[in-house]
Amino acid sequence: MKKFYPLFLVGILFSACQKDPLLGDAVIALPIPKGFPNPEIPSDNQPTLYRISLGKRLFNDPILSRDSTISCASCHFESLKFVDSLAFSKGIDNQNTMRNSMTILNVAYQPSLFWDGGVPTLEQQVLAPISNPLEMDFDVNLVVERLKNHPEYPALFEQAYGKGPTVYTLTRAIANFERSLFTSFTRYDDYLHNNNTAALTESEKRGMTLFFNEEGDCFHCHGGYNFTDFSFHNNGLYEFYADSGRARVTGKNQDVGKFKVPSLRNIAHTGPYMHDGSMKTLEEVVEHYASGGKNHPNKSGLIFPKNLSAQDKADLVNFMKALSD
Amino acid sequence: MFPQHTLFRKFKNRKMNFTKLFAALAVLSIGFVSCKKEETSTKTSQNLSFHIHTMAGAAEINDADVFTTSTGRKITFSDLRYYISNIVLIKEDGTEYPISNKVLLAGIEKEEHALGEVPVGKYKGFKFLLGLDSATNHSDPSTYAAGNPLAMQTPSIHWDWNSGYIFFKAEGQVDTSAAGNLAPNHDYFFHIGMDMLARQIDFSTSAFEVKADGEKFVHMNFDFLTVIQNVDLTTETMTHTMGPGMPLATKIANNYQAAFEVEDH
Repeated sequence: MKKFYPLFLVGILFSACQKDPLLGDAVIALPIPKGFPNPEIPSDNQPTLYRISLGKRLFNDPILSRDSTISCASCHFESLKFVDSLAFSKGIDNQNTMRNSMTILNVAYQPSLFWDGGVPTLEQQVLAPISNPLEMDFDVNLVVERLKNHPEYPALFEQAYGKGPTVYTLTRAIANFERSLFTSFTRYDDYLHNNNTAALTESEKRGMTLFFNEEGDCFHCHGGYNFTDFSFHNNGLYEFYADSGRARVTGKNQDVGKFKVPSLRNIAHTGPYMHDGSMKTLEEVVEHYASGGKNHPNKSGLIFPKNLSAQDKADLVNFMKALSD
Repeated sequence: MFPQHTLFRKFKNRKMNFTKLFAALAVLSIGFVSCKKEETSTKTSQNLSFHIHTMAGAAEINDADVFTTSTGRKITFSDLRYYISNIVLIKEDGTEYPISNKVLLAGIEKEEHALGEVPVGKYKGFKFLLGLDSATNHSDPSTYAAGNPLAMQTPSIHWDWNSGYIFFKAEGQVDTSAAGNLAPNHDYFFHIGMDMLARQIDFSTSAFEVKADGEKFVHMNFDFLTVIQNVDLTTETMTHTMGPGMPLATKIANNYQAAFEVEDH
């Protein structure tokens, strides 16, 4: 987080020298971490400084909620790696929301949003918490009316998108900001990209080996630059699911209890874990996977009892802690 | 669940004014053309509209009134809207004339729906989808301009968390008592959607004619009491379609065709 603001500035200075005196208008390069691919960015919502800063302001503004108490940041704190440290987030009127808050860092890569993948784009995602009766409980058309009557927003929208507040520009702006949020370099990345063998402790290296081999077998789902393959699995958390997960959006029985595989970057800071925040520590999580979980007809074939020693488990936890930026 | 407002009525009026203005302009422009050419030139296409009354049995629904179901149960409506799309006219020779890119948001607040100009002539009938095709259903509502039936509506008719539209939405209050002799006392909501519950409504044998000399209206009734004809209102008062709501949602969707009736014309 701290690293990319200076990068922005460099990008802006360059483009400013080349052409546009209106610095904020220039399309900027996103601060993509080393080893990460370029995310797909919609052609109608390319990142500019005006758009990102407008989106950031909206993200932090409770104007989006019915009684002006809840903003996006109410459940996605920048200081907490864009989660809230609660099992279930708190929405309007102090209600519990349905699921655990997910981080927005690296969200540019998500092919679908939410634990159940119900929404395909960041732009569309913006609509959901606004209308959800447990979250902001409001009407996006009325949000737009508020924004139109605001002393500052109309000009900021005009600057960013060439037109005032609409459902379209509102959703574009917040998505534009969210797409600019990336994790930054970790000790693991230092080890991986700089061949700095001293970056990881011996325990973390043993954990890394277990993580990426068939013995620990975490990498099948949590592989790749973002430690997720973005797929949906039933990980044997319950025999009976209070939350049907992906089945909620597909209506299919074989999707009951399946949830998005979350990224493990910053995982030491984004607990409690699972879609319902039911596990408080990484130790509990490792214990769950080592045990093979509960029986469920939809449980992933990758979840079965593993023969891991106490040291193995501690090493895995230590490795995951090295994924913090 | 959501505040009910009068936006729809306003929207309806504006739409009607626009329709009138459009008709006036069309007439004017025809006047110009016909002056220059021969006097007897006749139009080869003409405006077609659906005019749909939303009923509760014999009575037309108005959101301020109380209605009685076939079992004598009292019911009110605060919202009743549904999407009509993929309208296809069937010409006399059996060929189909699809009215593309036309989506209607019908319901108690909006009866008249202009479909644009269609070829003058006799038609064997028509058909349409109650609901939306999959591509439209999963399109991004924020990309439609305000006023478009597919834009975000107030109150919403889109499942924002599932990126799909609610094809049929009815809300209000109903008497859920066992005896069914009380005033409406319990909220109900029927939110029916998802691709598999879009239903083709078939009027392929309801013949009509579009004449050169005037706009054509196809009049229909849509009866809510038929939509819920086999719904047990003491227990079946809510569905979001997904999950446990699927059986009730399917039951309701399967009644759409029976609920429509083409009036004689």
